[in-house]
Amino acid sequence: MSASDPGSLNAKEWVLDPETEYRFELDPGNSLAVKVLKGHAEVFGAELADGKYYLFGHECKAAIFTWQGCTVEMRTPSTEYVSDETPMHAYANVHLALEKMRVRALSSHRGSPLPPGPDQEIDPEPPRVLVLGPENSGKTTVCKILTNYATRAGQGWTPMYVNTDPSEGGWTVPGTISAVPVTAPLGTASPANPLGSAATSAPTILRSNALLPLAYWYGHPEIKRNPLLMDRLIRNLGENVMERLDGNPQGRAAGIIVDTPSTFASSPSSTSTTTDHRQNLIRACVDAFRINVILVVGHEKLNVEMQRMYSNRMTVVKIPKSGGVVELDVQYRQRVHAQQLHTYFYGQVIAPPRGLSTTAVGDADFDVHLAPSSSVIPFGELSFLRIGEKSMAPTSALPIGATRTVNEMQPIPLDPASPGSGLLNAIVALLSPPVHLEEAERYDEEVLDLPVSGFLAVTSIDVPTRKLTILSPSPGTFAGRTAVIGSFEWSEP
Amino acid sequence: MSIYPQQQAYSQPPFPHAYLPQPPSYALPSSSVYPVDPATFRSDYTARLAGLTDNSRLIIQGLSMYAHDFSRWGDVVTQCIEAHIRRVPPEIKLPAFYLIDALSKNVFDPYAGHFASIVVPLFLETYQHVDQQTRGKMEEMLLTWRTGSPNGRELFGVGPQVAIERGIWPSNPAHGSSHSVNAFVSKSQVLSELEFTLRQKERSLQNNPYDPVAQNHISILSQLRRLVEAGVSQEELAQILAQLRTLVRPTPTNAAPQPSIPKYTNAVSYPPSFTYHQTVVPAGASLPHAQYSQHHGLIYPNPAQQFQTSDGSRSSAMNAVVPSTAPPAISNISGLFEALVKAGVVSATSTSPGAGSTAQVQDDIQNQPRYVQGLSESKVEDTRAYRKALLAEDVKFSSAEISRHRPNIVHFLYDRMPVQCKQCGLRFSDTALGKKAMQEHLDMHFRQNRKASQSVGRGHSRTWFLGVEDWIHDMPYSSSDKDAGPSSRLSNTKAIAIAESAKRDAELRARFVVVPSGDEAKHVTCPICKEVFKSEFNEDDEEWIWRNALKIDDKIYHATCHAEALATSGSLTARLRQGFASSRSGTPDAPSLRATPPRLGKAESLPATSKTGVKRKVEGDIDSHSGSPPLKKVILASA
Repeated sequence: MSASDPGSLNAKEWVLDPETEYRFELDPGNSLAVKVLKGHAEVFGAELADGKYYLFGHECKAAIFTWQGCTVEMRTPSTEYVSDETPMHAYANVHLALEKMRVRALSSHRGSPLPPGPDQEIDPEPPRVLVLGPENSGKTTVCKILTNYATRAGQGWTPMYVNTDPSEGGWTVPGTISAVPVTAPLGTASPANPLGSAATSAPTILRSNALLPLAYWYGHPEIKRNPLLMDRLIRNLGENVMERLDGNPQGRAAGIIVDTPSTFASSPSSTSTTTDHRQNLIRACVDAFRINVILVVGHEKLNVEMQRMYSNRMTVVKIPKSGGVVELDVQYRQRVHAQQLHTYFYGQVIAPPRGLSTTAVGDADFDVHLAPSSSVIPFGELSFLRIGEKSMAPTSALPIGATRTVNEMQPIPLDPASPGSGLLNAIVALLSPPVHLEEAERYDEEVLDLPVSGFLAVTSIDVPTRKLTILSPSPGTFAGRTAVIGSFEWSEP
Repeated sequence: MSIYPQQQAYSQPPFPHAYLPQPPSYALPSSSVYPVDPATFRSDYTARLAGLTDNSRLIIQGLSMYAHDFSRWGDVVTQCIEAHIRRVPPEIKLPAFYLIDALSKNVFDPYAGHFASIVVPLFLETYQHVDQQTRGKMEEMLLTWRTGSPNGRELFGVGPQVAIERGIWPSNPAHGSSHSVNAFVSKSQVLSELEFTLRQKERSLQNNPYDPVAQNHISILSQLRRLVEAGVSQEELAQILAQLRTLVRPTPTNAAPQPSIPKYTNAVSYPPSFTYHQTVVPAGASLPHAQYSQHHGLIYPNPAQQFQTSDGSRSSAMNAVVPSTAPPAISNISGLFEALVKAGVVSATSTSPGAGSTAQVQDDIQNQPRYVQGLSESKVEDTRAYRKALLAEDVKFSSAEISRHRPNIVHFLYDRMPVQCKQCGLRFSDTALGKKAMQEHLDMHFRQNRKASQSVGRGHSRTWFLGVEDWIHDMPYSSSDKDAGPSSRLSNTKAIAIAESAKRDAELRARFVVVPSGDEAKHVTCPICKEVFKSEFNEDDEEWIWRNALKIDDKIYHATCHAEALATSGSLTARLRQGFASSRSGTPDAPSLRATPPRLGKAESLPATSKTGVKRKVEGDIDSHSGSPPLKKVILASA
């Protein structure tokens, strides 16, 4: 560090021993700049380029791991410590095991003979992995590391990352389940886009910031709100993912990695009905993505349960949980949701820490300003729906013998003029137009099977003039389109 | 696009605007797509040139191979490079000069001729703007130009060479009278020349690794270099310079008429930088013509031959030249050196530091031709090697084993791939395959960076997600995918189909009928669209023609109207359009064509030249020369 550098005052060098990780947590409004000075380092499986500043912001909590040791320069984290107890060996072993499945599957597809080995007789299938675990066990991190390692193998793998956790925005916004083929390591910069970012028209250094996901709108952060809808969406997603992979042998060989919500693993008050939903949803995932490997992150009971249910059909492996996982509270998750929605429309800017100029960082990925488009449309141009009732008690809570007046899967039209529509400040998902335009092929619940084109925010409703103001990510016309409301709200800060 | 109506409906994204901010990237065709006209070629070459931002041998090679393939448009290449050098900031001008250097030396004809007309002002202006280090590199390059042509003379001719040298070394005596040592000699000048001679020697050593004479030269020269760097008297500088020049200069006699440059057609695979192998011609020897041509006969027609003998034994051609140069050289150098040793300035034992690395580079260059053809092979090998290494890893997929076993993960994630992208941290192997992948990867970054610099102040926005059909059929980036941008990845098959139909349309439009003499003033209308043909003057053939026209049964049709009419009338379309496409070479009376109903008349075909300023009937429909991507048009049209 040269003396002339004004930032050298608050820059700190850390020498990390091999196989240790530097963990940090950021307070709101704080940001961290990291530069690798010597050796190699990675953040959740994505290697950091030598000598380049990486910024982390928006209360990011992450870890910089090194296999061979390194020296890194840090600027102003809030909480930091180095740990030499990481589960990385186990994760690396899992990665190698998955890689073996991939090369075997590809060889078998190409008809090239496999070298003789002990597990010769096993029908080579690409890995299709379901990652289960309780809350704060680092499921998403495991998925990310495994995905990143696959893209780094230099074999052109494009693993399919599937996110079935609607409380986690992934590369879109919260409330969705989605799948994306990953071609390059997913970076980590902010909890608003923990898995890279959906494509924008802005230039990007990391390809993982230009992802093209297929997304379905569930609309709520919690699974228990509408498990039937969740089940259906998972199966829809699976069907399309499988269809895509069938047309692409290389992509197929790279396999699928499915991240799941923590409620799949356990629920605090474990009643028989929630267990049913849980198991049904796990089964939906297993069926939809033809899962052949289940990884259980640090949960003995769940591991035993999965072993009992699935070990006759597939590999069920328990993997250790990282000690670096941070317990997250509800407020934090809500802040992240708001940040994700803001990032979706406006992009995200991570200001470099004090003492470091923007030009020193000079990376388009940390400075993405997006210009959404605001348009005024008449009522009726865009039709709004809600799936099921607004506040719906679980079926189990209904009096015995009673049936619902409104089915959980029934699309209910909303009138923007009615005060109870809940549209103001709501985030709605603009569905993509139906593929079949023939009237005969249409059906009532079609909207449940349509993926999302994008997300809109209803920023104002003018009842006297019967006009709505809509914020959309890009300009477009909405005539004849359908948007579905959920329970997420967002307003301009 | 009328023949692909079903594609239209299919390709329509949820919002037509969604992709507009990102022009589909086949606006920059890959090398497999050959441009059909100079204008397309120009924009393509300009776009590729923009990628030349650092001194990347691979990029320079790529650009010069491309230029070599299109040497018929050498003037376009020249203009592009000139414009590029004038446009870009000083710090990235040098690589473009290296491109000029490579092209002129390796392809020589026609490029050296083209560049000769522009090189003087270009070089001098650039020299003014660059920093000291770059100047040094430019001087070095300039020195190689003294003997850079295939016959060992000035690459761009005596005139330009002298003009440049006078421009940058004003105190330097005129080129050609290099023995005058009275003038002031700068240290930097001596150093550059010394450097140049040293390189030359190193290269000749590379050709003949066991030549003790060359080894000796190198070690002496590098000592000299150190000596000069340390500082010597003006007199010694002048002396060294003079000696060096006699060593390097092939033909100092201006009286000897310039031998006509043999038109060696370089049909063999492009040999990168083979000129470096042409060696020092005896000092002071004025070679007669006959010997010159013998020279060329020996060396140039098949440079590849030289490369094949990389095991240390030289080809006879090299044998013929190199030894003859050695004796005078050694006497000169060692004479000088001895004088210096006597003076106690240098020690007699030393080794040359740079030879090894140069040898490495040279080795790479020699491997180039093999590298290209072996890529697919090496890909298979690479995959196989990876599979073997991986399957050798003993990883049991069980909870206990996974926590216990120590994996060899560092090998797979790091050591296998030692080269890292400085921008995003992705790693590549250092095999030929890895290098190619890396180059494509860097191209991708470059395009993104250029986009970033171009789009300052322009609003960006989140793009809409793909519809389910597009998503399913959208193939991911593969290692061979050059246009790695999300917008370019709409279904490839569709894009290809659209591009093909656009190409066919362009070909149709390029067809023309010569206006019968006397009919120039006549109003001839197309029977289908009833529009009047506008005659225009074709400067190449000096004839009046109707463009986009077909003569069938003495009637003149618009080629496009006719094809469209056919398209609606039945299944003949595809066949006919294909027929048009394949008749591009333009045999007017091909009976087979005439037999195909409806009969095609005498219609010649031009390559789809884009004469700017010539108004075409269907102008704007498809704008082949503006590089406007057809897919975008389709999207627009379907909006």
